[in-house]
Amino acid sequence: MTTSVDPHADTAPAPRVSPDARRGGLKAAERRFGLLLLVPALTAFGVVVLFPFLEALWLSFYEYTIAMSEPEWTGISNFVDVLTDEAVIGSFVSTLIFVGAATVFSILLGLGWALILNHPFRGRSALRGLSLMPWVMPAIVAAFIWGWIFNSRYGLLNAVAMEFGFIDYPQAYLSTPGGAMAAVVIAKVWLSVPLFMAFFIAGLQSMDREQVEAARVDGAGNWHVLMHHVLPHLRPVIMVTVVLGMIGNLQHFDTIWALTGGGPVRATTVLSIEVYRRAFEQWDIGMAAAVGVVWVATILPPAYFYLRQLMARTE
Amino acid sequence: MLDLSSTQAKIGFGITALLIGFFIFFPVYWLIISAFKTNEELYRVVPTFWPQTWSLEHFRYALTDGGLLLQLGNTLFVSLGSALINTTMAVYAGYSFAKYRYIGRRPVMLFMLSAQMFPFGLLLITIYPMFTGWGLLDTRGGLMISYIVFALPVATYMLYSYFSQVPNELIEAARADGASDLRILHTIVLPVSIAPIVTVLLYSFMWSWNDLLYSLTLIVSEDKRTVGPGILLTYLNDSHSDWGGAMAASILASIPVIVAFMGLQRFFIEGVTAGAVK
Repeated sequence: MTTSVDPHADTAPAPRVSPDARRGGLKAAERRFGLLLLVPALTAFGVVVLFPFLEALWLSFYEYTIAMSEPEWTGISNFVDVLTDEAVIGSFVSTLIFVGAATVFSILLGLGWALILNHPFRGRSALRGLSLMPWVMPAIVAAFIWGWIFNSRYGLLNAVAMEFGFIDYPQAYLSTPGGAMAAVVIAKVWLSVPLFMAFFIAGLQSMDREQVEAARVDGAGNWHVLMHHVLPHLRPVIMVTVVLGMIGNLQHFDTIWALTGGGPVRATTVLSIEVYRRAFEQWDIGMAAAVGVVWVATILPPAYFYLRQLMARTE
Repeated sequence: MLDLSSTQAKIGFGITALLIGFFIFFPVYWLIISAFKTNEELYRVVPTFWPQTWSLEHFRYALTDGGLLLQLGNTLFVSLGSALINTTMAVYAGYSFAKYRYIGRRPVMLFMLSAQMFPFGLLLITIYPMFTGWGLLDTRGGLMISYIVFALPVATYMLYSYFSQVPNELIEAARADGASDLRILHTIVLPVSIAPIVTVLLYSFMWSWNDLLYSLTLIVSEDKRTVGPGILLTYLNDSHSDWGGAMAASILASIPVIVAFMGLQRFFIEGVTAGAVK
């Protein structure tokens, strides 16, 4: 800390604190202040993230159902169940289909829409703003809209399909496994396209126009420009959207729950629904935690990639 | 970027634009006109694409018997509260990461950013008994606290990015004048950071407003319910489905976030994509 002045020194009063020590003292005080600023956020994280996660991790090694007053240690038996239970394996398959389809289509449509809105025309910025609406609205609203369109008796899809003669009588799309999965994917894609569009528009704005012009002079067509200039330039943005899309879709609960509740039977029971049902419908806490821990493991690879990228840009 | 001088290119561009535009906007149109149709018109096998009679019956029902006003009030209270808590914490944490150097800064930052990756459903398993023990279950205050996890990581990163660009000279000059660090943050840095702070406030607000999972689980009483579970349980439950009411309530529940968003759209998009696109 600060140096004290020797009272017996009979020289002219030295500065009470040397400039160097003073700076060191200030630095230490600054550091302390910097750490102090973190306390509220870190406490909150401890309470709503870290502690619940560690406790869930701990519970995943216990059997703990509504019939028991205390959790009972069972070792890795929950995990053995998770990896052998057909229902859980089914959830993994559903999750894979949902996440794969929703991510791919959101990115394709987001990219397409960004390319269109990158082209100058009147009313473009208003259209960009309006395009974000599906993303801003509550996810449950998306579930309602698409649930109504897919409705088995009065739904628009049935009316249109019958009008064009594709079907003879109304179909209960949400009651078939394939139809229900298609519906939740479509609703989620509809929700995500705006966000991905925003990412791609931001990426397109940093493109080197002169390079494209030069290629044009050399006779490159739209397809060539797209494949050899636009897509390579957008590569980092595409990576980020793939990763963010995967994380978001792996986490997603709201629309699926509101639209199908995970059904019919288990057709759209992705991991988020599986964990929720086990925990808050069957009150089988140990198994719910074990499925959840495996779920975390599926999120880890994209999360690691994303965080590494994010941290690489911070000093 | 695209050359639309050839007819072929024009047609391709036009068709793609129409298809994607239709996919994005038609459902919104359908939501709006369905909400204004009478029940008689709504439940027809061959639907009308423009209401024959514009009716407010679904909106009237939503605001009276549907209990939407109460749910909107609850949501507003919880969302505003959690947005304020979140933003305050994100300001301090983001400023700390941007302007102070100490051991463990980067690991702590990484930890905070990773918090967003934990599946919320898993955390809920243990938050539920924890809140029960603390008397926070079925309280709006508890819900407010639980919402911290949604937006704080991104909010902190957004503010961190912004504060990093605030010139150090500004801070050093104030320090030389003898201002304390806290005073510097409050009277010098914050006034030049209004735009990013409002963006973060709105971002947090939006996450809380749009939540279904947490409020569905952590709120039990009907009078404390927020709009997400509120409209789900009121209009589409096991015993009946009232699609007109669901549509009208959806519109009313979306208006606050859309209005807030429109005013701040530009900052918002810059802020949200800033972390990923550069």
